[in-house]
Amino acid sequence: RLIQMSLPNISRVPASRLLRSVRDLRWLLRSIAPLAVPRRALTQMGYRRPGQPREDKPPWWRVKFDLSKGLKGMKRHFQLLKEEFFAEFVGPMGKPIIEHMLEQNQVVWEFRGPHSLQEWTISCDREIGGKSEIYLKIGKNNETCLLYGTLCSDPPKDGETRYSGYCTMRAKQPLASFDRKKYHDWSSFNTLHLRIRGDGRPWMINIIAETYYTHQKDDMYSYFLYTRGGPYWQDVKIPFSKFFLAHRGRVQDDQHRLWLDKINAIGFTLGDKADGPFQLEIDFIGVCKDYAHTEDFAYEKYKRNPEV
Amino acid sequence: MKCSRCLLQLVRSGRTVGQRGSLLLSPSSGQLIVQHNQQQQFRCSPASGKSQPEPVRFVNDDDTKKTKSLVTQEDLFEQVAKESRTKATFNQVIDVFTKRDIRRRGHVEFIYAALKKMPEFGVERDLTVYNKLLDVFPKEVFVPRNFIQRMFNHYPRQQECGVQVLEQMESYGIMPNIETKVLLVQIFGEKSHPIRKYQRIMYWFPRFKHTNPFPIPQPLPEDPVDLAVLSLTRIANDLDAKTTVYQLPFTDITESGEEISFPYIVGIQSPNQMELLAKHNPNRPVFVEGPFPLWLKKTCVCYYILRADPTPPEEKEEEVYDPERCFYYPLQLDLDLDRDLGDEENFDVDDLDEGPVFAMCMTSQGDQATLNQWISGLQQNNPILGRIPTLFRLDAGTRELEGVADTEAGHSHRPRPQSQREDGPPAEGPEAAVEEEEKPRRSQGMKQ
Repeated sequence: RLIQMSLPNISRVPASRLLRSVRDLRWLLRSIAPLAVPRRALTQMGYRRPGQPREDKPPWWRVKFDLSKGLKGMKRHFQLLKEEFFAEFVGPMGKPIIEHMLEQNQVVWEFRGPHSLQEWTISCDREIGGKSEIYLKIGKNNETCLLYGTLCSDPPKDGETRYSGYCTMRAKQPLASFDRKKYHDWSSFNTLHLRIRGDGRPWMINIIAETYYTHQKDDMYSYFLYTRGGPYWQDVKIPFSKFFLAHRGRVQDDQHRLWLDKINAIGFTLGDKADGPFQLEIDFIGVCKDYAHTEDFAYEKYKRNPEV
Repeated sequence: MKCSRCLLQLVRSGRTVGQRGSLLLSPSSGQLIVQHNQQQQFRCSPASGKSQPEPVRFVNDDDTKKTKSLVTQEDLFEQVAKESRTKATFNQVIDVFTKRDIRRRGHVEFIYAALKKMPEFGVERDLTVYNKLLDVFPKEVFVPRNFIQRMFNHYPRQQECGVQVLEQMESYGIMPNIETKVLLVQIFGEKSHPIRKYQRIMYWFPRFKHTNPFPIPQPLPEDPVDLAVLSLTRIANDLDAKTTVYQLPFTDITESGEEISFPYIVGIQSPNQMELLAKHNPNRPVFVEGPFPLWLKKTCVCYYILRADPTPPEEKEEEVYDPERCFYYPLQLDLDLDRDLGDEENFDVDDLDEGPVFAMCMTSQGDQATLNQWISGLQQNNPILGRIPTLFRLDAGTRELEGVADTEAGHSHRPRPQSQREDGPPAEGPEAAVEEEEKPRRSQGMKQ
């Protein structure tokens, strides 16, 4: 049976890089770093490495039922509920309405203290058996975050995986009280603004938007992040019209604009096939409105080459 | 698409002529290419790709039945001696295969084996080799002839193989050309998966070729001094910055007969940085820090910086604008206007103050002696360096970051006791000892 023939992954000529590392890679991210960065909920299915037998346990088997944890959770959820309730009196989403309507720039993620690391998850190809490593920590002065590690593109020897070597960092889905999904609403902005300091490696920024069908679960809107390297900070501004649609790392034929009203998460991936240590420092991630940018979408939406 | 069909006619006729021609010719290297003769009953062993010409060995049917060893398509490549794995030998192996059997039996496995062996022969970035490999497919056999064949994924294994060839090309970033397209159309027809993949490559590759705002020249300069100049201009972030080569690499023979090799030292400093250094308070020390990694495609180079801690708020002085500097417009306006929320252009984050960077340098050996030399070289343009104490904060041990393969998991970074600076990522290395070599050095302009 033929593999799905979706669009090829982008490997641009200066430094070719692979998004997908395994033929059937599922982008379920789990952190493996020290305690600062938390793990994902245990109930979700992890990636099953080829050769491992399937687990026949029922899904509730892995949930830990613990009274003290439950009580603490209840307390936290009710606290959040109370905060949300009173935030509505201030304005939509807790901000005064004049701010919500008129603001030009919004800082979405900034790293001021170890608590901000709780919003992020990191992962690398160690999950599929590779040899890369990735760690995330807060820089000195609690001012920035440092994502560092080693990339190794030796594929794991399980007979199925052909490519390997990726490291990612992904923001967690913001959750309201009782673990309801909360979305980022960036509909009044049109540019992503990052302040980073890299080491010259090319990264990929992925934005995960909320979708309706389960088939769209691994849909990501991606674009490249080129770092200059050096001791100076780099301001990167990427308009949202430049993000192209990819599914499981394969660029799709039917492209459409990224819809900004329900954004789940943002992620950074490193997959250039240069083995060695890497690091990326991020100061903050914000969105802004660039009035000079009027482009709606950078790629053709119509059916290209239909007749061949 | 008329043009491709015309090309098809031309190329097809050209190709058949070429094939017939090559069958008659023998290669000039003197090796024997055995032609498969269908009427003969003996199976001939391929004698190709070897560096020395070997006499042809005829293998009897009885012999092979007795030994019963499994011969894979990779064996053709394995037979080539390790020293002589070049593009020419690779092409010869492909030629052996194509001439062995008019029906090209086992071509799918052969192409997969060839794709796997390409990096060993060093031809993975060569488009002509990929075209030659696509040429191994028999032409027009896999082209669907009616709608049922088109519907049902005609010859799926071969289509998958074609797609894998294109995928390897894509992963190495090689753009296919019109010959690839014509080959694919000849082999698979126009509505096939390899053609679709080719179209996708041709759509996306040109779009993403020039997206890098900091392009790296390809190929990178071989000379380490040139590479250092290139990387320093890249990280300087200032077009006015000037690079100076303080020392070129050379080897010196001392009296005892030993050879000492001196490394190259290339430094960069911009006028802004010189100004900042001139304004620096001589009582506060400056630090030489390093090595920090910089990646240019697949090579990692290290650079060192000269920086100082940010001035504490009590020592900060307001920059007074000289009104006579510019007569066209006032440089400073004392207006009482406030910007509306709708016009606010800055982000609501605290500005990071990490201290000024005064200069950067690159050298192959990052020990204190070499960096001292750099500082003395800098001193010629910045005399204030003679009065400022210089501290060296070099990671003990590693100078080249590529050599390090193990970073301890979950290492704890000891905060530097000296200052609360937060600059520069901690360089990868034996992290357990992030040592600071604090040797206050009053540079008197002497070289060590």
